[in-house]
Amino acid sequence: MFNLIRRDVILQKRLLLTFIPFILFFIIMDSHPALIFLVASIFIPFNAYAYDEKTEVNILLNSLPYTRKEIIAARYLGAIIYSLASIGVASAALLAFSKPFALSDIAIGGGLFFLFAALTFPLFYILKQGYIFSAVLISFLVLAAIGPQIVLYMSDHLPAITEFLMNLSTTALYTGGAVIIGVLYAVSWGVTTVVYQRKAF
Amino acid sequence: MENVVELKNVTKNFKGFSVKNINMQVKQGFITGFIGANGAGKSTTIKMMMNLLRPDAGEVKLFGLDYRTHEKEIKERIGFVYDGNVFFEGLNLKDIKRIVGPAYKKWDDTLFYKYVAQFQLPLNKPIKTFSKGMQMKASLAIALSHDAELIIMDEPTAGLDPIFRRELLDLLQEIMLDGRRTIFFSTHITTDLDRIADYIAFLQNGELIFNQSIDDVANNYALVKGELGLLDRDTEKAFVDIHRAPTGFEALTDNVKAVKKTFGESVVIERASLEDIMYYMKGRESYV
Repeated sequence: MFNLIRRDVILQKRLLLTFIPFILFFIIMDSHPALIFLVASIFIPFNAYAYDEKTEVNILLNSLPYTRKEIIAARYLGAIIYSLASIGVASAALLAFSKPFALSDIAIGGGLFFLFAALTFPLFYILKQGYIFSAVLISFLVLAAIGPQIVLYMSDHLPAITEFLMNLSTTALYTGGAVIIGVLYAVSWGVTTVVYQRKAF
Repeated sequence: MENVVELKNVTKNFKGFSVKNINMQVKQGFITGFIGANGAGKSTTIKMMMNLLRPDAGEVKLFGLDYRTHEKEIKERIGFVYDGNVFFEGLNLKDIKRIVGPAYKKWDDTLFYKYVAQFQLPLNKPIKTFSKGMQMKASLAIALSHDAELIIMDEPTAGLDPIFRRELLDLLQEIMLDGRRTIFFSTHITTDLDRIADYIAFLQNGELIFNQSIDDVANNYALVKGELGLLDRDTEKAFVDIHRAPTGFEALTDNVKAVKKTFGESVVIERASLEDIMYYMKGRESYV
């Protein structure tokens, strides 16, 4: 199992060289720290899918002594491990450039990453190969474009929700968010496992 | 004698194509050649053996174990070589070894490097720069480096030049020497099998026509040549398929004894090659 997770580093070792410049770009552009944590987390797990899109990779993995459950578990656990590591690196980079950031930035960036991962990982196994990457990219852009508008609309027109959220203590807000995202991530893991087990290669 | 692979009433349906009710055993310690025309269902059958596909009905057992409960144990004991390259094509052999090796408990680095040296494979060049033959050798080196008891190969000789094919066949014979290993490989180049196979399994249109030792195949099947006048409704029954020409007929029989009894010395009986058998069996369909 650990080997399956480690595989991503071996596959991406050249790409990883671009990881630091990639983060530095966002830092120099003075992006919001939460956004920097989000893009840093996305880097490795989603690149991994770019490598795994080909059927042959699944033929290889499934011919090796791994179960399908393990292959999917490696994806979800790997995403956690790599995002934590990436957040660590991004924090170090931010510190090095003496850009201030708060723990809440990490929480928001990380939280958004896990939410995004939970929603898109199953797509990689449901959608046809070749379409997946563009589908995910487009949905990311659309979400980024429409998402804030929806939130603003809701805050304007559904005061009950806003009020409820405003009245929550910060701790409750973050814990609640973490629990919801955690549940979504777990459900997504379960769904992907079922989908993958039914696949033919 | 133990069966390493056992398929019982295995059926798999696709749109417009199916593998029907296959009963097949692969015997331990022997080389079984799996023949059939393109599209006969060989790859589908192999994929079911590897659990890449699940049969709609029937049972697939390897080493007497079921994939549902012993998937890892089974795959630990299999070495696989596929028709195309399944390894990450941008990676070099060293990195592929880093990914594949740790998957196996019995992976042996020394053995791997021995095969790499023997096959003269470059360790630091990406796989996609390898020729077809080199890719095959690389797959084979990986398949042989974890002490696999069963080597499953899908069309390993397709697209290889004759010299390399011969080297490969010699190598397969060499790795069979300890008597523990079993090789199952599909091919449509039947001359490969005349050289090394102990058993022949023949698949046609998703149905297993036979699975016999190469001696049985040689004893049961024969080409028969004679004059057209010998053929009538009764005597034709002895043949699988008949080709008629103004100069006489040529036919395949799966019952040499009966032919000898019916025709005696009036016909010429010749050994049928696997290619002959495949060819005449194909003709049989158009009759039915």
